[in-house]
Amino acid sequence: MTTTPARASALQKPAPRRRGPRTWVRGGGLTTLAFALPMILVFTIFSWWPIVRSVVMSVQETNLIDPPTFVGLDNFVAVLNDPLLGTAVLNTLYFAALALVLGFPIPILMAVLMSEVRRGKGIYSALAYLPVVVPPVVAVLLWKVFYDASPDGVFNTMLGWVGIAPQPWLQSPDMAMPSLVIEATWAAAGGSIIIYLAALLSVPAELYDAAEVDGASIWRKAWHVTVPQLRGVIFVMLILQILATAQIFLEPFLFTGGGPNNATVTVLLLIYRYAFQNSLGGNYGMATALSVMLAIFLALLSWAYFRLTHRWSTS
Amino acid sequence: MTTEVSTRASQRAALAATASAPGTEADARRTRRRRRPMLEDTRGIVSEADLRQRKVRWSMRGVHVFLSVTLVLAGLGPILWLAKAAVTPTQDTLRQPFALWPNGIDWANLSTAWNDIHIDQYFFNTIVIAAGAWAFQLLVATTGAYTLSVLGPRYAKVLGSLVLATLFIPSVVLLVPLYLTIVDPPLLGRDFSLLNNYLAVWLPMAANAFNILLVKRFFDNLPREVIEAAKTDGAGPFRLFWSIVLPMSKPILGVVSVFAIIAAWKDFLWPLLVLPDPAVQPLSVRLPAVQSQTELDVFLAALAIATIIPIAMFLIFQRVFLRSAGLGGAVKG
Amino acid sequence: MMSLNRRTTAAGVALAAGALLLTACSSDPEAETDDGDGSATPDATVELRVATFPPGADAAAYEAFAAQEAQFEADNPGIDVIGVEYEWTGPTFAVQLAGGSLPDVFTVPFTDSKTLLENGQLMDVTAEVEELGYADSFNPIILDGVQDADGSIYGFPRQAYAMGLHYNRSLFEEAGLDPDNPPATWDEVREAADAIAEATGKAGYAQMAIYNTGGWQLTAQTVARGGRTQVENGDGTYTSTINNPGTKATLEFLHALRFEDDSFGYKYDLDWGTINQEFAAGNIGMYTSGSDVYTALVRDFGMNADDYGLTVLPLEGEDPGTLGGGDIAVVSPTVDDATKAAAVKWIDWYYMQKLLNEDAAVADAQVLAESDQAVGTPVLPVLSRELYEESLVWIEDYVNVPVDQMAPFTDRIWDQTPVGEPKGKTQEIYALLDPIVQAVLTDENADIDALLTQADTEAQALLDQ
Repeated sequence: MTTTPARASALQKPAPRRRGPRTWVRGGGLTTLAFALPMILVFTIFSWWPIVRSVVMSVQETNLIDPPTFVGLDNFVAVLNDPLLGTAVLNTLYFAALALVLGFPIPILMAVLMSEVRRGKGIYSALAYLPVVVPPVVAVLLWKVFYDASPDGVFNTMLGWVGIAPQPWLQSPDMAMPSLVIEATWAAAGGSIIIYLAALLSVPAELYDAAEVDGASIWRKAWHVTVPQLRGVIFVMLILQILATAQIFLEPFLFTGGGPNNATVTVLLLIYRYAFQNSLGGNYGMATALSVMLAIFLALLSWAYFRLTHRWSTS
Repeated sequence: MTTEVSTRASQRAALAATASAPGTEADARRTRRRRRPMLEDTRGIVSEADLRQRKVRWSMRGVHVFLSVTLVLAGLGPILWLAKAAVTPTQDTLRQPFALWPNGIDWANLSTAWNDIHIDQYFFNTIVIAAGAWAFQLLVATTGAYTLSVLGPRYAKVLGSLVLATLFIPSVVLLVPLYLTIVDPPLLGRDFSLLNNYLAVWLPMAANAFNILLVKRFFDNLPREVIEAAKTDGAGPFRLFWSIVLPMSKPILGVVSVFAIIAAWKDFLWPLLVLPDPAVQPLSVRLPAVQSQTELDVFLAALAIATIIPIAMFLIFQRVFLRSAGLGGAVKG
Repeated sequence: MMSLNRRTTAAGVALAAGALLLTACSSDPEAETDDGDGSATPDATVELRVATFPPGADAAAYEAFAAQEAQFEADNPGIDVIGVEYEWTGPTFAVQLAGGSLPDVFTVPFTDSKTLLENGQLMDVTAEVEELGYADSFNPIILDGVQDADGSIYGFPRQAYAMGLHYNRSLFEEAGLDPDNPPATWDEVREAADAIAEATGKAGYAQMAIYNTGGWQLTAQTVARGGRTQVENGDGTYTSTINNPGTKATLEFLHALRFEDDSFGYKYDLDWGTINQEFAAGNIGMYTSGSDVYTALVRDFGMNADDYGLTVLPLEGEDPGTLGGGDIAVVSPTVDDATKAAAVKWIDWYYMQKLLNEDAAVADAQVLAESDQAVGTPVLPVLSRELYEESLVWIEDYVNVPVDQMAPFTDRIWDQTPVGEPKGKTQEIYALLDPIVQAVLTDENADIDALLTQADTEAQALLDQ
C-alpha cells in the first residue's frame, strides 16, 4: 500500500520543486500531467501495485476475511513440498521441449520454401495464417473433437486410411502431452511463418547477387547468406517460445484439466488450482509464492533476451 | 498460451525494429515503400539463373505442390471440416466424420446454437470487450507516448523506465494479485469491486508497456521540424497532439489496433476470472462452459459461428493482419 | 463439485417454475398463520436478499420467481424480497463469502456445510426449525450434516439424492441380458459390461474421472463395498482411511474392466455432464451417478425414455451403504433478528412447503409437467420417508417418468443404509483421488497399493492442516 503512492509522488515532485508550483502550472506542467495521467493511473493500479502486492502476498497468509498475517517463507516451503510441483515442472519442461522440437523447425522450413516460390506467396501466407485467426478456445475445443479416441474419431479415421491402429490421444498419459503440443503448434505456426517470411524477404538482394558473382550454389547461398541473416529473428523467436511455453495454461486447462493421472498438470495450472479451484477460498499465498518463483526464472530469461535483442537490433 | 507467441513476437519484433529505425522522415518513407511489395516480386536464394536449370525448375514445382497440399490440409482443412460438421447431425459426425451429409444437412443446428446457447449475446459481449480494450489501449498508449516522447517533462525518464520495467515481469505473476485488486480495488474497497464489470478487462489490458514503447519510438522518429513549426504557430499541447501527431501516426496506430483487438478477442483466463456472470461473458469463456450440456452438433455449430467473424475480418483486412504479423522483418529491412 | 452445482441449478430452475403454482392457490393457510403472529411490524419493512439462480438462468425462471416473490410479499407485508443472482462455485463464492456479500438466504451442498459451520459462516436456526415443527421430520442422516457437535441446526436440508446404477435397457437387450433384472453384485456388473461391449461394441460400463467427480464416484463405490475413505474422530479431527479394501476393490474392478475385459470404452475424461451426454446418446451400458439425473438426460440430451433403467448400487462387504448428497438452504450469519425471522419464513415458504404441503406439491408438479420437465424422478427424502411417499401420491397424476423402469431402484433403496459424503476437506480429497481413478484406467501397470498409500498420506496432510 505504502510503496506505490510513494513512488508515484516521487515521480511528480521533482518538476515543481525547483521552479515553484505556479511557474510549473504556467509552463504547462498541469497539461503534461493530464497527458501522463491515464498511463500513470493504469500502470499504478493494474501493474506496479499488483507486482508489489504479489511479492508481499507471497510471504503472507491471505484469506480475504482476516487481515493478512506474515508467515515468512511458509508459502514457499508449502509449494516446494507439494508432491505435484515436481510433476508440474517436469510436464512444463516436457511441453517446452516438445514444442521446440515440433514448433520450431517447421515454420522456418515453411517460410524458406514460401519465400522461394515466385508466385502464390500471398495465398500461401493467408492459408498459413488462417489457424492463427481461429480463436484459441475454439481451436482447442475443435481439436478435442478431432482427438476423439474411438476408432471413428476424426484423427483415428485418418490414421485408418494409412493402416495405423486407433490412438488414445488425450486419453493416455503418454500421448496427452504430445497431443497438446501438436494442437499448440498448429495454432501458432502461422504467426511464426509470417515473421520468418518477412525476415527472409527483407534479406537484401545484393547479398545473393554478390554470392552468385562468387559462383555460390543454392545450398551455399542458403548457408552463407540466408542463415546468418535469419539468425537474429530465430534467436528472438526461440526465447519467446520458451517464455510462452513456460506459461502454458489454455491447452491443459481445456483439453485435459491436467489429466490423465496428472500427465498434463503444468506450473500455471497449479497456480490456478491453488488460487481459484476451491469455492471455499483459495490459497493465495501459495499461488503467489509459485508465481514469484516462476516470474523470477522468466524475468532472468527475458533479461537475457532483451540484452541479446539489443545486440541484434544495433548490430 | 503458445498461441499468443506470434502476437507477442510481432510486438516485440516491431519494438526492436522501431528502435533501430533511423530517425528521419526519409528513412520512414523508404521503409514504408519497401514494405508494400513484401509478398511478391522479391528474390530469394534461388536466382533466375538457377531456375534455368531443369533440376531446379522441377524442384520448384515440387515445392509448390508440397506447399499447396500441406497448407490447404493444415490451414483450411480443420475449418472446412468444422463448417461441414456444423450442419451435420451428431450421429453422422461421430460415426462417419468424413462423410458429406449421409443423412442430409441439418441447418437447424445453427439456429439452435444461435438461440439456445445465446451465441448472439456472447458475440456482442466479445465485441464490446474488444472495442473497449482497443479504445483504452489506444488512449493510454498515445497519451502516454506523447508525454514521454513529445512533451518530455522532467519525470519522463523515471516514468519511462518504470513502464519499461514491467516488460520484464511475466504476466503470470500478476494473476492472483491483479484478481484481488479487481475484487477489492485499492483505497475504494470491496463495495467498488470490478467483478463482472468490463473495466476489469479493459483497464489491465491498457497497462501495456509494449504499446507505449511501440508508439513512443514512432513518435520519437516523427520529424521535429513539423512539431516545432506547429508550436511556433501557437498550437497548444492538445492541438499538437490531436491535429499534428496523431494524423502522422496512422501506421503505428493501425498496428496497435490490430494487436489490441486480437488480444482481446483471444483472451480466456482473465475474463474467466473477472467476469463470473455468464450474462457478460465473451464467447471464449462461454463456449467451454456450455460444452458438457450441449449436443455435439449444436456445439460444433456454435464453434463455427464463433469462428466466422474473425475469419471474415482476416479475409477482408488480410494485408493489415499479415503486415502487422510480419512487421518485425519488414520494418527491419 | 460440478455435479452438485449443476444439480442445484437444475433444481433451482425447476423450483422457480413450480412457483407459478403458488400464485395460483392464493390462500396458503400456512402463510396466513405466519402473517397473523408475524414478528415483523407492518410499517418496518425488512429487506431480504435471497439467492435466486445462477447468472444466466432463462427468462421463464425469473418470471416465475417474480410471481412467487409477489405472492410471498402479499402474504408477508413486512418483508421486501430482493432476488440476487447466486452461484455456488469458486472463486466467486469464496469472494462473496469472505466479503460478506452473499445473499441473506442461499444454498450450499452438504459437503461444504460442515466447513462453513466450523468457520462460523452459517446462522444457528435451531429454535426456528423447532418452532416450524418439522425438526423431527427430517431424515436424521441428512440432518446430521447441518448439526454441530451440540446438536444445533444451521440450515434446512431441501433436496437430496442417493447414488444409483443407471443402465441402458436397449443395450441390455442387444447383449441378451434381461433389463428387468439388472445386476445386483459388482461381479454381475462386470459380466454385464463385458456382454454389452462384446455384443454392441459400446462401452459396457463407464465412470466419471475428472473435475472431482472421479473422487466422488470412487468414494461412493468404496462405501458400497463396505469401505470408508475417512473417519471422524469425534473431536473435530479426521483420519484418512483411503487405503482400505473397499477402495482397493473398486480400483481393481475398474482396472479389470478396462484392461482385462476391455469393456470400459475409450473415454477416461468424463464428468457429470459429459457422462450423461454419452449415456443419453446410447454409448454407455451402465454408470453410477445420483438417482436424479434422469431429468438432465431427457431434458438436455433428448434421451429416449424407453431405454432408461435405474437400479440401486450393489452392496458388498461389511457395513456397506449408499452415498447420498444434496444441498441445504442457509441464512447468512451477519443478519439481524428481524431479517433472520424473515429469512426463515422465506425458506419455509419457498423451499420446504412443497415437500410438506399437498397444494404446494401438486401445483409444483403441474407446472413442471406442463413445461415437459420430469416429474417423479427418484430422490432421497430430506424429510421422513412417510412424508415423501405421501407426496408421491399427491402428485401421482403428473408423474411422467417411466416409473416401472426405475422400480429396481425404488423397490430396494429403502433397504440400503444411506451414508453421507466424507466431511473433512471433501472437495480437496476428491480432487486428490481423480488422478488415481485416471491412473487405473489409463495405465495398465498402475500400482494400486502404491497409489493408495500415497493418496492416503496426502489426504491426511490436508486433514491435518
